[in-house]
Amino acid sequence: MTMTFIIIRMGPIDPVSAIIGPEGGAAQRSQIESRLGLNDPLWEQYTSFMWNLITFNLGQSWVIQPGRGVYSLLGTYAPRTLWLGFWSVLIALFVGIPLGFYAGLNPNTTGDYFASFGGIVWRSMPNFWLAVMMLAVLRQSERFFFGLDWHTFGVEIGSLVGQPPLDFFGVTGWTTIGLLSIPSGFYFSGTTLAASIKQVLPAAIVLGSASMGSEMRIGRTAVLETINSNYVETAKAKGLSNRIIVWKHVFRNALIPLVPIITNEAFVLIGGSVIVEVVFSINGLGYLFFQAAVQGDLPLVGSLMFIFVLLIVGMNIFQDFLYTILDPRVGYER
Amino acid sequence: MSDSYDEFDDTTLRERIEANPRPALLWALGVLVLLALEIGRVAAGIIRVGESARFALGGIMSIPATIEESVAGTLGAGAGTIAFLLMALVLLVIAAIVVKWLFVPVSLVKRLDIDRGVGTNDVLERALITAVLGVFALLIVATPLGSAVEALIDGVTRGLEAVNSIQPITSRETIPNEGYRTGDGGWEGTFLGLSPAWAWALRVAVVYTYAIVWLVWLWKGYEIFREHYREADWTPRDDSINRLRNHYWGLFGFVVVFLFIVMALWAQPLSPVTAEANLYSPYEHEFQYYDDGSLETITHGTANVQTRSQGGDSNVGLMSYDQYDRFAPFGTNQDGKDMFTFLAYGARVSLVVGVLATGLMAGIATALALMTAYYKGLLDLVTVVVSDSVISMPRFLIVLLLSVLFMQANHPIAAIYDGGILLALIFAGTGWPGLWRAVRGPSLQVAEQEWVDAARSYGQTPAATMRKHMSPYIAGYMLVYASLTLGGVIIGVAALSFLGFGINPPTPEWGRAVDEGRPYVSTASWHIATLPGILVVLVVTGFNALGDGIRDAIDPESETSEGDAGAAATGGGG
Repeated sequence: MTMTFIIIRMGPIDPVSAIIGPEGGAAQRSQIESRLGLNDPLWEQYTSFMWNLITFNLGQSWVIQPGRGVYSLLGTYAPRTLWLGFWSVLIALFVGIPLGFYAGLNPNTTGDYFASFGGIVWRSMPNFWLAVMMLAVLRQSERFFFGLDWHTFGVEIGSLVGQPPLDFFGVTGWTTIGLLSIPSGFYFSGTTLAASIKQVLPAAIVLGSASMGSEMRIGRTAVLETINSNYVETAKAKGLSNRIIVWKHVFRNALIPLVPIITNEAFVLIGGSVIVEVVFSINGLGYLFFQAAVQGDLPLVGSLMFIFVLLIVGMNIFQDFLYTILDPRVGYER
Repeated sequence: MSDSYDEFDDTTLRERIEANPRPALLWALGVLVLLALEIGRVAAGIIRVGESARFALGGIMSIPATIEESVAGTLGAGAGTIAFLLMALVLLVIAAIVVKWLFVPVSLVKRLDIDRGVGTNDVLERALITAVLGVFALLIVATPLGSAVEALIDGVTRGLEAVNSIQPITSRETIPNEGYRTGDGGWEGTFLGLSPAWAWALRVAVVYTYAIVWLVWLWKGYEIFREHYREADWTPRDDSINRLRNHYWGLFGFVVVFLFIVMALWAQPLSPVTAEANLYSPYEHEFQYYDDGSLETITHGTANVQTRSQGGDSNVGLMSYDQYDRFAPFGTNQDGKDMFTFLAYGARVSLVVGVLATGLMAGIATALALMTAYYKGLLDLVTVVVSDSVISMPRFLIVLLLSVLFMQANHPIAAIYDGGILLALIFAGTGWPGLWRAVRGPSLQVAEQEWVDAARSYGQTPAATMRKHMSPYIAGYMLVYASLTLGGVIIGVAALSFLGFGINPPTPEWGRAVDEGRPYVSTASWHIATLPGILVVLVVTGFNALGDGIRDAIDPESETSEGDAGAAATGGGG
């Protein structure tokens, strides 16, 4: 975080001119400067910056939506990114891992080669290009999918780009029991949910592409490794059925090396969300960060970066924790 | 083939070549012939390297003055002068270390008989060279010797420029492809009256043949060295190379990378029109075309307006001629500029930025890995903390933030190479922790080996121990990870350019082509955004495959544990 401070505060960016525009006079300028505390000595700025972060006082946006708190911005923007991230993780998991396991269980067959090669190429596709291609193909889906129009297929959506509608689930009333307040009435709309999923699906596939490929590759090697291990031999010798061996012995153990890959998706998602959200014009966190960086909204950039760092560190701790549960050989004391 | 390996045979390579000069001479003759075929291009390359070296030197030499100014501004003129001298001294010392390492094979200390023990000798040696360099620098600055050196450089440059005008075999003048169609359907101005498409194809074929001959000749050179001049009949590296030769996936990667590098190096002859005329200053270059029985002259810029690919009717697609009889193998872009030229020069930009960034990264990571593994302790701890704090930030976001900052502030670095150097520095600055972590394990392992202990107890200096006994072990891993990282950097640069904060126009970049072609993807001009993307995918897959191949070759045991695949370049970075 110190590094973030150095970058945004010592860097050559000038938030004041971004706020007042090119026509602002010098008096106005110094007034704003003193209001934002830019005239204080640097170390004072630094300590207050760090202290605010530690106490989770994330401050307000200066430029993009002046005066609006970062928390309220997060409340608006984060759900979209979470929704996108949720689907991209899910798709990657449910396509990548089964494919990888299939390839691992049938090594050196045509299917394996096809899956492996596809995974490698799929993984090295740059997100921005994949997103552009995806939009182009879906725009003229009648031509590519034998008359199937993506716009009207299933639920009708107006446009391919734009943020997904997230109001399929809402709380209408709250009941208070003692100190606990629980939602008493809520509504749920299946159509909006479907539209929302459909809206976010292409973006999620693009965002999940890299992790899908990685999961497939690692899944394949993990399965190959366990299948050749001694305990699988033993299980075979005992006369266990193939199904039990695969599900009970191979599958479970092969999941272990996949854990870091899955938690690492947090990195990929946060970094990749900028591009995917810009191309698919989803007003999410990545888009917000991009705008904040471009327009010189310093506190917003700092706070967002802080949240991202917290997320990543949290994911790493969670990953280590998960490891100790899944693999008893790994312990805290070593 | 040397008959037996003699343990105590410490003849140098030069002595071995003197003993049996024939194969080496034959090989050197081949190299000379190959160089002679491309003499003009070689000369041009030397001039360009010289210019950029001079530019870099000028930049470095201005550091003390800059520091003097800033210090004098806050602390007064006296402190400024002191700061100037200190900084100059620091630069001289750094220069001395480099010069000693590169050019001074003999020990001055031993020559002058001032032996003071192992540790001080090194310092003395460098101090001596620093002194010599300082005197030299003073001479250049303060006496007429400076202008003499200047004149010498000028002379050499002029000589090289004269050589430069000699046509290389792959030049566009040898096989011209820009001509016009006469009324009777024949072609005027092209090679042997071929159509521009065929002339261009022929030139591409010549370029690639030339490059392949070079490759074969280098391989031949290695074989000659192995057969006639190497002391040992067999080294473990032979096995590695043999494994790589049978590793089809790795070979595929090698072929793709080779094609890419040749495309980048020979971008000028490979492109159907010159970049100068078509991309940078189209209104200052003219060409002729045949229209209704008369010969017309038009500038590239005016013609480009008519040959835009913007979907619908105005489109110049793949492998087609525009209405001015210019051949566009990959069509034109939305400004009517030739796409293949754009992509070939874009390859050069990607390669330069990628190699520069990866080289810097690998250098920092190797140095740190060696030092942290050798010294451990506090240094290790500090590096862990720093690298963790860099790693914990999402890489792409921090790269984006930095490049946005520098570009908006119009920092002078951002102007060099239209932002290329800046990007390389940013990528290197944010990427070294990953590389360092990747090689940390192996380097810690090698630091525990007996031979390192032995070297230490012999009284070898730490630097020599690291260089001679530890770094060869790391180098293989470094090569693997560097290959994987290069792909990532290429994707990252393309992604930044796509967002508008990478390489600025007019310098071509693949990612920007994707961005510019975006509105036309679903029209007839789909090629603008599609082709660069396919190229990126191919090149990145190629680098990944090459990395895999090298890893399997140097360490066949690691084949099963691909847990480090996270280091491979993925599209997720952008």
